Parts: sequence; C-alpha cells; structure tokens
Amino acid sequence: MGRLNRLRPDQVGADIRSLFETFLKERGNIPNMFRTAAHRPEILNTMLAHFRSVMGPGTVPVALKEMLAVRVSRINSCDY
Amino acid sequence: MAKQFGVGDDALAGLHDPASHPFPPDQKAALQFADAMTNGPGQVPDPVFGELRRHFNEPQIVEIACVVGLFNYFNRFNNALHVEITLMDPDILVRRIEEAAAGSAIPLSDLCDRVAGILKEGRRYARVEISRRQDETKATGGEIVVPIRASGKVVGVITAESDRKEAFDDEERSLVERVAAVLAPRIA
Repeated sequence: MGRLNRLRPDQVGADIRSLFETFLKERGNIPNMFRTAAHRPEILNTMLAHFRSVMGPGTVPVALKEMLAVRVSRINSCDY
Repeated sequence: MAKQFGVGDDALAGLHDPASHPFPPDQKAALQFADAMTNGPGQVPDPVFGELRRHFNEPQIVEIACVVGLFNYFNRFNNALHVEITLMDPDILVRRIEEAAAGSAIPLSDLCDRVAGILKEGRRYARVEISRRQDETKATGGEIVVPIRASGKVVGVITAESDRKEAFDDEERSLVERVAAVLAPRIA
C-alpha cells in the first residue's frame, strides 16, 4: 500500500478533476503518482505541465525519450 | 507506455544492459549519459559527455538531461512514498468486460479467455482462471478465489493470482466480485 492516500476524483477540486478525467479517457487510469501529488494541486499542475513539455514532441525523438525513461526507471528499481 | 511511442520489444529488452545491445551510436551515447547521471551522485565523466556532444546539439542535450532528471525525480518520489504501479480503473475495467460479455454469439470459453486477458493486463495479475468449479471465496497473500453466483447458486469460480505482495485488498476483491456478477448469467 502507498504511504499516502491517493485522492479520488470526488476528493479534488474542479480543475484537478478535469485533469483526472482526461487521464481516464485517454489511458483508462489516473496514475497513482498524480493521485498522490493531488494533495498539493499547484504542484501537481506544474508537475504535469513540465512532464508534458519534457516528454512531448521536442528536439529529440519521443521514442528515445521513452527509452531513457525506461532505462532510468530500471536503474532506480521503479516500475514504469 | 514506451511501446505506444514506438519502442520495440527488442529495444526494451536491450535496455536491461544497453552496453551489450546494438543500439545506434546516438542512442547509445544518450543511454550512457543517462546511466552516468542516474548512478551515484550523477557525475558524468568527460568522455561520456563528449560522446553525447558528438551526436546532439545543445537544445537536444538540455532535453535529454531534463528527461533523465525528471525520471529520477519521479522514481524517487514513487519509491520513497511507496506509490504503487497504476492499474486500470475498476469502473473502466468492468465496463470493458460488460462490453465483451454483451455479444452472446461468443463461445463461453472465448469469453472467459477474453475476460481473463482484460483482468491480467488491466490489473497486472500473473494468472487468471475462470471455471465452473464451485469454490467459496478465499483470499491469501497472492491469490483470490471468487465464486460466480446465479440465482443464489455457485455456478463457477474466478481464481486470480498476483505476483505483487498484498495485491488483494478489499478494493481488489470487490472488483473481481463485480466481474463475477457480469459473467454469472453467461455461465449459469
């Protein structure tokens, strides 16, 4: 079990709820990390914005960035 | 996630040990940089940075360093707070199973295979079996057995096994019970 409560859509404000609903529509889940970070909505908002600008289309192929994410997560024994 | 962005099975397997996999030189340089930045205090030796420089310009290096930094941040956050892997939302999973069960033309064995597949993928169960055996509910550390009931009678059973510790809490049991309720009219 996680050390902190994961917030459900009915436990967050309207702006975070709409972010959650987008995740549900796109992926069929809301990542637990974001449900946990939702305790601090301002941080979650910028966390997601940063995630999208780093991992979205940019100057290196998205596939290479995904490979780097997998490699780093494996070194850190974290499931990604 | 990586697969849906075009990372093949071969490359994913190679990521266990990038040094001995034939990645193209630019990818290899970026992966070596990621290893150096992630291991220990993140001191990247000059030769590793030099190789990265040969293949990427400055905006690209910023982007690569941000990816590595971001995942170190996320991984440490998740490891420290024991944030578990994300599973498919129970409501969405049950809806998918209802849709699969709606087509009455599907033979029962195919339907059971399909439902087992959805449960395995969505909830990362190691093994799922749906049978007409008539067992009662029980849950141990790594296994749960949920009866499928129709008109008060047990007509079958769903057995699910997990390789995760403490995988079957109340939320998980209630999810498998909902799946059993969807299957009941087909099995009875």
